[in-house]
Amino acid sequence: MAIAQARQRAWSARWSYVYLAPMMVLLVGFIVYPIVASLGYTLYRWNGIGDPSEFVGLGNFRQITHDSIFWHAVEHTFVFAAFVVPIQLVLALALALVLNNRKLRFASFYRTLYFLPVVTSAAVMGVVIQLLISNFGDKINSILLTLHVIDHHVDWLAQPHFAFAIIIAVGIWHTFGYNLVYFLAGLQTIPEDLYEAARMDGAGRRAQFWHITIPMLRGVGVVILILAIIGTFQIFDIVQIITGGGPYFATEVVNTYIYHLAFGGANATAVQPDVGLASAASFFYGLLLIAFSAIQVVVLRSLVRRRSQGVVAA
Amino acid sequence: MTDINRRTFLRAAAVGGAATFGGTLVGCGSSGGSASGKTTVTYWDSYVSQAGWVDNEIKLFQKANPKITIKKTTQVSDKYDNLLSLAFRSSNAPDIFMLPKTPTLPTQVTNGWLDPLNTWATKDWQSGFPAGSFTEGIDVFNGKVYTAPFSGAGPSLQLYVHNGIFKQAGLTNSDGSVKLPQTWDDIGKFASIVRSKTKADGLGFGNADNVILEWWADILVRGAGSPGGMASAGVDSADYRVGRWTYDTDRNYADAVNLILQWKKKGYFYPNSMSISDEQARAFFEQGKFGMTIGGVWNQPEWTSHKFTDYSLVTLPSPSGTPQALYYGPPGGSFVAINAKSKVADAAWKWFDWLYGDAAGKRWVADGQGLSAHPDANDPSKVTFKPFAAYVGMSKYAVVGPQPTIKNPDAAKVTLGTVKPDHNDVLAGLYTGQLGNVHSALSELAGRRNKSLDDGIKAAKAQGAKVSRDDFTFADWDILKPYTTKPNS
Repeated sequence: MAIAQARQRAWSARWSYVYLAPMMVLLVGFIVYPIVASLGYTLYRWNGIGDPSEFVGLGNFRQITHDSIFWHAVEHTFVFAAFVVPIQLVLALALALVLNNRKLRFASFYRTLYFLPVVTSAAVMGVVIQLLISNFGDKINSILLTLHVIDHHVDWLAQPHFAFAIIIAVGIWHTFGYNLVYFLAGLQTIPEDLYEAARMDGAGRRAQFWHITIPMLRGVGVVILILAIIGTFQIFDIVQIITGGGPYFATEVVNTYIYHLAFGGANATAVQPDVGLASAASFFYGLLLIAFSAIQVVVLRSLVRRRSQGVVAA
Repeated sequence: MTDINRRTFLRAAAVGGAATFGGTLVGCGSSGGSASGKTTVTYWDSYVSQAGWVDNEIKLFQKANPKITIKKTTQVSDKYDNLLSLAFRSSNAPDIFMLPKTPTLPTQVTNGWLDPLNTWATKDWQSGFPAGSFTEGIDVFNGKVYTAPFSGAGPSLQLYVHNGIFKQAGLTNSDGSVKLPQTWDDIGKFASIVRSKTKADGLGFGNADNVILEWWADILVRGAGSPGGMASAGVDSADYRVGRWTYDTDRNYADAVNLILQWKKKGYFYPNSMSISDEQARAFFEQGKFGMTIGGVWNQPEWTSHKFTDYSLVTLPSPSGTPQALYYGPPGGSFVAINAKSKVADAAWKWFDWLYGDAAGKRWVADGQGLSAHPDANDPSKVTFKPFAAYVGMSKYAVVGPQPTIKNPDAAKVTLGTVKPDHNDVLAGLYTGQLGNVHSALSELAGRRNKSLDDGIKAAKAQGAKVSRDDFTFADWDILKPYTTKPNS
């Protein structure tokens, strides 16, 4: 009886399954399968050609966890996220509030303008920035020296802090438009009545922002926050193009670290790329991210629980 | 007038469609013939500054072989190895291709990538090359020829001097020619004069791709007597006299690195050298932003194409003025090979044979691209371009060096694992001040490289290879003379 009901339910939702199928095929083919397949490779020393034959057991994982460059890359990735996410979200929210003003003329034009970097390839942006810095490094230096912003010539991509700051700035610029659009969508779901009622009660703009806008944006805000964090953990192309992870690993992030293990660096000396080791690094980083996400979920749930307990108590 | 009915129309459409798709497939596929009887041979290389010579050879070849079309693809050099590897994995590899550095040639042979050439590369054909050009472990494996030497031996790196800047700085001899630095001190002294008397910097390079600093260290340490240098690939950068990397015990390395750091501290280097690429550095040298740079002979054609010819070159500047070590190479060599799965191997061989021909070699030299494997093509009297003639005159600084794979063919089964941080990383770390202690940085680097070789030997042994450290040691090597490696010595 139950089976028959389940069958009937499935049949009645058949079109849903049909529509889901193409995405599922792609997901299994390009996400699930590579993850499962790479798990096997983690146990081999393998240059990516032919079949892996040199079994090293958990040796690759041992090597990764003992590699200080890997841990520096993890640190750089988290520092990148720690700078990009809050700066980007605050800027995106501020600009979304401005663009949400119905009295603002040419609002659509501005939205398009701020969204443009998102549709531009990160690699192209990286190349342009790299060329700007390398070709006009002298001029940038002379302007800043004249203005007394710096007191000596700076080789921008040779100094770890400057190189990393440039990558952070490009990272913020590149995906800023996404968060702007998300916040705009969130702002447009807030009923105007709430603001009208608040104004009638004598609330000023600041009070309206803190007591209406922010609470009403909390739901979409959490989603934007999570997406922004996930996005920053995937940083690769900007770093690879602008600095290649250098100088001396100062801007190496986990994804460039994995790439360099799997395909070698720019300096292709006659050493074998190690896809097995790269797979182990990739898998281990995945585990780290899962652990981080779990902590994130626990913290968010606890915040929500605390807040709902506060509301009930009030 | 004939009426076209539905069936006729469909038949015509089908034929037309087939023709269209056929054409498309020929265009997309790796190679093949066509209805016109023409054979298309796909060819890959990473020659950018040499593209003019390749294109001219294709033009001449196609004129001589009207039924063969060469479809050339030039891949960017730093991605070439990966792209070729991916092409083989997806069965889209070209019919004939420039050999990549990785995987190593023996691995490519083991993987079945390369077609043995013995059918065409007969003893008679091989006799067109100098003695020792076809050597087991170099371009011959298990008696089968897979590739052949193309370039003649020459010093890999040279120090280029911008004549205009040197003249502005007053660095000229009594006959008006520019003074050329022969010693380490000369370089520093001339850089200082250029900096004080012109608007240019003394020295410059472009290390954005993290590959150029090793060139500076390499040319300096070789001049001082360290035969491994620092820019050689794989195990060739070890000191074969002792069969290990000696960055920790050979003081030339620390001296050279300290000298580079001292030049940096004194402001002799173009200050954006770490941010610009090698290509940009070449352009900046041409524009006179700095007076000296290090590069290879491949710089010359590009500068010539920009009509910049006012420069001079030296190689192996040394502490004393006399080089104490040289550049070393194998007795044979490699350039291109034919894909084992090529369906047009005969046509690919014709292109292979053309590239390796004496005439193509002469054009290679005349074009200023490099030296040819055919000695008669390297006639300095026939080289009219002065900077290239200077390079041809430097051929005495490149000789045949020890070859572990000739001593013991099983040495080819030793592959070096990735060394991180490698020499380029360490040099960048020292140059940018992220690493403070030159000696300990070099000692650790030597340790990593030596461990990498030990691990490689261990892994090869586990696979059944009979190989040891001794196979990489040539205690009787006089580093100022050509060395003949004897099998099983």
